[in-house]
Amino acid sequence: MALLELESVTRQFGGLRAVSQVSLAVDEGEVVGLIGPNGAGKTTLFNLITGFLRPSAGAIRFGGASIVGLRPHAVAGRGVARTFQVVKPFPALSVHENVTLAAFLRHRRRPDAERAALAAITELGLEARRSTLAGQLTLMDQKRLEMARALATEPRLLLLDEPLCGLNPTEIEVACGLVERIHGRGVTIMIVEHVMKAIMRISRRVVVMQHGEKIADGAPADVVRDPAVVSAYFGKRAG
Amino acid sequence: MRRSLVRAALVAAVAAVPLAVGNSFALHVCILILMWTVLGAAWNVLGGFAGQVSFGHAALFGIGAYVTMQAYALLGLPPWWGLWLGAAAAALVSVPIGMLCFRLRGPYFSLATLAVAEIVRLVALNWEWATRGPEGILITSLPRVELFGHAVNFESKPPFYLLAVLLAGVALGATAWLRRSRLGAYLVAIRENEDAAEAVGIDTVRTKVVTLALSAALAGAGGGFYALYFRYIDPDAVLGLALSMEMVFIAVVGGLGTVGGPLVGALFLTTIGETVRSHFQVGHLIVYGLFMMVAIRWLPEGIWGRVARWLERAQRGRTAASGGAVVAATGPAPVEPDHAASAGRR
Repeated sequence: MALLELESVTRQFGGLRAVSQVSLAVDEGEVVGLIGPNGAGKTTLFNLITGFLRPSAGAIRFGGASIVGLRPHAVAGRGVARTFQVVKPFPALSVHENVTLAAFLRHRRRPDAERAALAAITELGLEARRSTLAGQLTLMDQKRLEMARALATEPRLLLLDEPLCGLNPTEIEVACGLVERIHGRGVTIMIVEHVMKAIMRISRRVVVMQHGEKIADGAPADVVRDPAVVSAYFGKRAG
Repeated sequence: MRRSLVRAALVAAVAAVPLAVGNSFALHVCILILMWTVLGAAWNVLGGFAGQVSFGHAALFGIGAYVTMQAYALLGLPPWWGLWLGAAAAALVSVPIGMLCFRLRGPYFSLATLAVAEIVRLVALNWEWATRGPEGILITSLPRVELFGHAVNFESKPPFYLLAVLLAGVALGATAWLRRSRLGAYLVAIRENEDAAEAVGIDTVRTKVVTLALSAALAGAGGGFYALYFRYIDPDAVLGLALSMEMVFIAVVGGLGTVGGPLVGALFLTTIGETVRSHFQVGHLIVYGLFMMVAIRWLPEGIWGRVARWLERAQRGRTAASGGAVVAATGPAPVEPDHAASAGRR
């Protein structure tokens, strides 16, 4: 049984179908890349899975149980964590407090939560910054913080929304390493990304979306040769 | 342990001073300061910690006032008990209000609370069976109340003063507890970023509704106290917009999201306000507004927030002079050691 199953998921905004009839399954332990041109519906799909949006139609199951209609905190409670495309730290709080707030989900007592948070911070290489206010971090460190916070909720599935966006090539290398490290801990990962080199390196399977529809699903090397994908990115060959 | 005992003794001593002075006006001002401390703290719990700016706390205050008043006037319930009933009623009513208003965020939430408060005021004006409408409710005498074997005579000011000390103690104690609790941490997370709070598993709606109920209980108790102390209430006096605004002023000028802020804010504004009020009717509101502007422009963390920062700095200076070990722990971390390390590996 797949960890995450989407069945004909559709989301309508007025007359616009941001996500249309998308079906896909993610197995435990996979790293699935989700790519597509701007406006393809990738972030909307993440919002649908995590409960920030309700699907207009279709079914979403996590671990076999439907999670449609659950509010985001409840989805997080089931074991789905996410990061945001535009980072959303708690800016006036320290790195440690930021992550502790996430660790409260599994550890009700503060000392336990703080200990778990510190472990996640160390995992992401932020321990030197643990007393820094989140608002004062560099973008790279804020991305680390996003991931540390998601990790501290002890997820089974982690949805990363453009974790490499805005980073320089060196930082991208580091961030890719971090994603692989989280995967190594047994977390299933879905990742939206535009940096193709990174997607090819990290994921074993790539799903391509265009105009809200899934147009390809397969191994990275096959997907980039798929005519539908090529035309989605570069347009149709003239003549 | 010994330090907290010393602190408690100190607070008790300060609280006893107005009683010893024996000046009736001074005692009156002290009672008002403490009442406004309770109200400022009530607003601060929601507005300061959770960042949910309510312009409608007068509704909760008014509900507390009316329930306390009618519990005595209609049911003959002794005021001492009616007060807690008023607090409970305000908390109860706040739950549906919260469910309704918390669907909205930011300024929309604030405007919704404003609208709800106006609705409550208009209902009170027209629902004569329950509130006697614009005529208001007047009680001429308060009964003696038996408390722990002592007969307390509410016809004089000292019992009211002690009751106000108790209420302010409860309000500030609740805030201090909140600041250390998980609930308090959740509130700050909601204030900082509601989406992120929800994403890490915080039930933001429930957290806000629970906090509003706590805030409402304090505001309701303040309202009940007001009713008993002044013995007259009408919709404009206990449900007016000005009342909601005064709570905001006190919390902001004192220091948003701090424990001592409301006390400091009330101390400042009420003292100045009462002095001005004796010269002309609504002059205190002008002064409040002025202080609000000053606070927003030059003192965004409030008077108490600023003082607390100074104290902290002074304390850190002292430890640095005596030890130096603390500095190493809290001092600036070396620049990006992790980046340097990972670059080196490659």
